[in-house]
Amino acid sequence: MKRPPLAVVFVAVLLLALGETAGAAMSQLRAPLQRWAGARVDANPAAHGLAGSAEYDDEIRARTIFLTEAGLSFFHTHAEGLGLIVFFASTLVASAVGGRRTRGALYLPLGVGGLFPLGYLVYSAAVLELGRDAGVELAERWVLTALGSLAIVGLLGLATALAAGRWRA
Amino acid sequence: MTADGAWRLPPRGVLLVAVLLIACAEIGGASMVRFKPELARWARDAMLARPAVHGLVGVRDVDERILDEALVKFDAGLRLFHLHAEGMGLVILATTSVATTLAGRGAGRLLIALLTAGGAGYPLGYLLWSALIPYRGIEEGKTIAEWVVWIPFGGATILALWWLAGLVAVRLARR
Repeated sequence: MKRPPLAVVFVAVLLLALGETAGAAMSQLRAPLQRWAGARVDANPAAHGLAGSAEYDDEIRARTIFLTEAGLSFFHTHAEGLGLIVFFASTLVASAVGGRRTRGALYLPLGVGGLFPLGYLVYSAAVLELGRDAGVELAERWVLTALGSLAIVGLLGLATALAAGRWRA
Repeated sequence: MTADGAWRLPPRGVLLVAVLLIACAEIGGASMVRFKPELARWARDAMLARPAVHGLVGVRDVDERILDEALVKFDAGLRLFHLHAEGMGLVILATTSVATTLAGRGAGRLLIALLTAGGAGYPLGYLLWSALIPYRGIEEGKTIAEWVVWIPFGGATILALWWLAGLVAVRLARR
């Protein structure tokens, strides 16, 4: 099997390293992360619509911390998965797709789109800083949708190249 | 690195470990479905035989809630083993291919050993946790699995992955 460019290999290995580290952090640093997330909610009362009523504010705080943890959990699983997808799909491009330009046109969306799981880190942070709805919208619109679409374009491009018989000699 | 930019295959033993891990994950998943009632019955009996470990008080309403929670965690441990073993098998294949191709002989060997041992050992922690729940309880079982498996093997994997990422970054910067 042929090796894809180093930059694409780097993206794949970086995603796996980040995914593993996030999983360990979620497990070992859960209590400090929850405390930090709670403190960020308190530091942005207007964004979260805190009302000064302990019962209501506690519910908002708990819901926001849950969303932040969910973002980290999605980051862990997606980074592991996308790291492998970038590795194996780009190896397939290098090995099976003919035409240097075609291969280059596939590496770019696969490599950049593969960074899509970073959107879940943005999601976790944005929910804390901007509030639930604004944070989710920012992460979805500007990172998750943009990079995720790019990854899909790369994979569909690979499928099209293979279906069209653009095999590497 | 090979002259023609091809991947080098990792050592045969590494490939065998990765494939066996994926096979174990598949068997684990299938067994969870096929033997679900038997597994649950075994875990429940083992827990009922150790009431002090699980804080069982002999009141049905209270005890059933405790047993249900422990059985959910027992099942979760088996599911997490299934998922992580499948994933880590592929991670071993991918990362040891990179290490074999791009790392030097000496560092490459250590890197491959860390990636293989860490990747194969880590998912076993979930099996250990599940097996310990009926005998030691949820929290004590988790603490044992953490110190015996997750921290050493997971730590080895994380260390090796960042080492590998650094190695690829240095090669990229040198070009």
